[in-house]
Amino acid sequence: MSLNAEPARPSGGDYTLDPALARKLAEIVGGTHVLSRQSQLLVYNSDGLPGYRRQPSLAVFPGTRDEVIDVVRALHEAGAPFVPRGAGTGLSGGALADGIVLLGLNRLKRILDIDVENRTATVEPGVVNLSLNRAVGPKGLLYAPDPSSEAACTIGGNVAENAGGPHCLKYGVTLNHILAVKAVLPDGSIVQLGDEVSDRAGYDLVGAFVGSEGCFGVALEITVRLLKKPEVIRTMLADFLTVDGGARATSAIIASGIVPAALEFLDGPTTRVVESSIYAAGYPTDAEAILLVELDGLLDGIDEDVDRVRRICMDAGARTVRVARDDAERLKLWQGRKKAFGAMGRLAPHLVVQDAVVPRTKIPEILAAIHGISQKHGVLVCNIFHAGDGNLHPNIPYNADDVEQSERVHQAMREIMGVCIAAGGTITGEHGVGLDKIGYMEKIFTPNSLAAMCRLREVFDPERRSNPGKVVPLHSCREWYATPAGRGR
Amino acid sequence: MVRDTGGTRPVTATVTLDDIGSRVAAAAAGGRALRIAGRGTWLDAGGPVEAGETLSLASYSGIVDYVPGDLTITVRAGTPLTEIASATREHGQWLPLDPPGSPDGTIGATVATGSYGPLATAFGRPRDQVLGLESVSGTGEVITVGSRVVKNVAGFDLTRLLVGSWGTLGVITQLTLRLRARNDVERSAGIVVPERGRKLAAVLAAARAARIAPLALELLDPSVAHRLGLPAETVLLARFGGNSESVTAQLAELAALGQSFAAPDDCWDRLRALDADATATLRFSTPLADLPILWDALADGATGGQELLRHATVMRGIVRCLVQAPAGSARSLDDVLTGIARPLESARLIPERLGNAWSRIAGASIDDPISRRVKLAFDPANVLNPGILGESP
Repeated sequence: MSLNAEPARPSGGDYTLDPALARKLAEIVGGTHVLSRQSQLLVYNSDGLPGYRRQPSLAVFPGTRDEVIDVVRALHEAGAPFVPRGAGTGLSGGALADGIVLLGLNRLKRILDIDVENRTATVEPGVVNLSLNRAVGPKGLLYAPDPSSEAACTIGGNVAENAGGPHCLKYGVTLNHILAVKAVLPDGSIVQLGDEVSDRAGYDLVGAFVGSEGCFGVALEITVRLLKKPEVIRTMLADFLTVDGGARATSAIIASGIVPAALEFLDGPTTRVVESSIYAAGYPTDAEAILLVELDGLLDGIDEDVDRVRRICMDAGARTVRVARDDAERLKLWQGRKKAFGAMGRLAPHLVVQDAVVPRTKIPEILAAIHGISQKHGVLVCNIFHAGDGNLHPNIPYNADDVEQSERVHQAMREIMGVCIAAGGTITGEHGVGLDKIGYMEKIFTPNSLAAMCRLREVFDPERRSNPGKVVPLHSCREWYATPAGRGR
Repeated sequence: MVRDTGGTRPVTATVTLDDIGSRVAAAAAGGRALRIAGRGTWLDAGGPVEAGETLSLASYSGIVDYVPGDLTITVRAGTPLTEIASATREHGQWLPLDPPGSPDGTIGATVATGSYGPLATAFGRPRDQVLGLESVSGTGEVITVGSRVVKNVAGFDLTRLLVGSWGTLGVITQLTLRLRARNDVERSAGIVVPERGRKLAAVLAAARAARIAPLALELLDPSVAHRLGLPAETVLLARFGGNSESVTAQLAELAALGQSFAAPDDCWDRLRALDADATATLRFSTPLADLPILWDALADGATGGQELLRHATVMRGIVRCLVQAPAGSARSLDDVLTGIARPLESARLIPERLGNAWSRIAGASIDDPISRRVKLAFDPANVLNPGILGESP
């Protein structure tokens, strides 16, 4: 089942697994780390989006960097396409392998180095985002990107998707924090992109690799920039009787010159479902919009900014603005936000989590349009998003086994994406294109631009064996058809 | 002030995107190389470009779209930084990019060369501020990547690839940039710090650990400090922004680290303008902890009586080294550059202005197999600024 008009199938579809490859991979990683039974592989048929189920024919889980290299070389010799995968929390169908080899990297979870003086850390790709912060936190340091799935997602996956999170508003996305990547390319060669310094001459190959969704190769080591932990954090909850009030307050806060660490928006349906779950955070259930505004930095002057944000919210029509008194209350406010997707499990067995970005000034009209679309198709849309960035997450709880309902949900989502594109937005702000958005790529990029992206991919993976069929529609890759690999299609 | 030392070649005005596309396509078809230029500010910046024609973007200028509420601006590449500054100032906003050289230089050249100044401390480099761009590839095709929203992961990131590529992968024609709202209060101050060695390292470490969040924190050698109208000592110069309580507290925190003095607001503009007097400029990037060692090594490496001007972006591990025009022959400039070009193992040289000395001092910066394949993918006929990154023909 596909959410979009594009019936994308990963292009590994014509690949037939050679039993000799499974034996070879088992020699490298040990038999227990190669899965080939259908029942075992079922676990890997989704990355959180219920609309897409694709099952690998084989899954291999190397435990060391050398094993990763040997595995990639064996795959290269066999001409086998493969999909690198971290924790599988991408929510875009990007980490799905359809009848090809899945290369799981979550056993590579060693933090190789924390350099306090130079404020960097070097990690293996399977290190969980939150684990890195638990390791550097006591040293007074912070790895800023914090996807909502930070307790499960991996740094390698963050790099592949150029992941975001609530605190990107102030600190930037993953890209802004990656200094270097050591990677193995699909042909088995090792490349070192960037190094421990913040700038260097030549092309920004780190910038190109980050966000390439596993299509350029497999990260072996990632060097990240760490920041000094903020001295103080103030988290505020502002509630509004209208969606418009929340949107107005968002714009006014940004315009004030204060850069909040995070500025999150939850609409009425979202707060109500959170409050009815075990993640209840004390959000007012009669509000139609709540804003979670977090300011951080130096102690001196922060209360002046808190007062200013409070005034801005009240002027925009807030009923109340509450500042968390202590860490416990602050974490509770955040838990409601970060676990909202889980709380939506109360409403229906499945959930479509969407990810689009619109110019911030268009938020009120887009939310109104989303409301209209939800009414038209009889679906419930829960809006929870990074308002400061204009990064929307319209979510629709539904039952994917109900064919008729699914069709309504998909139609509504297509229309919502259409509205975001028409407003000058983009189709993904932090989850990636994967399978889910590939059908929209031609709506936001010209054929020339897509062909140029293909050319960049071919620099790293001329045979298109790493995560084939993702990100850029195959028919956009004009030059590729002139290559031996392309002529085979 | 516009530097145009390469201006002996005819500069042809380009007015439309079609003009630019057809100029490049024709050059590619005819095997003729093009030198890509904005207003000529950086013409002698890179390696010697072997090109018979200059393609100037200077007349391809102007603000295409500015939505203050979104804090984004879309401009043509030939737009001078001053024009962006004045348009955004009206709305209490700014583009916090302060590359060395003339503020009359263009945004296209700033982004193409990846140039930045002290404000990188708080706001990062052009890589961090460009949201999307339009360019003309070496085959004359128009390529649009990124977008005008502040978060975007749709497709492979050609934006980052073009930023800092010195026009060798595409002629940047239009850009969308992220703006910031200006702070209520902004103040600059300096402290006198030890000239070198462990004492200097200790002060810099203390500054990094201090309860400050400066917009800029720049270490200046005595010559630079003097030229900025500050005490002729080694100085740590800070720029703070925020509400008045925050700025006042930060000024006090800085003052606790050394003998402090207020600095005039225009000292930052004067720092940028220093570049105009330099014959050659080298930028080094180093791990934060090695910055004091690099600072000393550069001073030690200067020979032949040539004056070096040094300033360092402390929070980013960047040192810029400006070499004043030597009185003697070109050979003596080479000697000076050779003396300082390899200061220590951990430092990376990012050539800013080396002219003909580039290949001897810096070597090619795109000589790895991946970079060569990238160049070939976007400029297969090698018509865009060939040689500017030190690569051999």
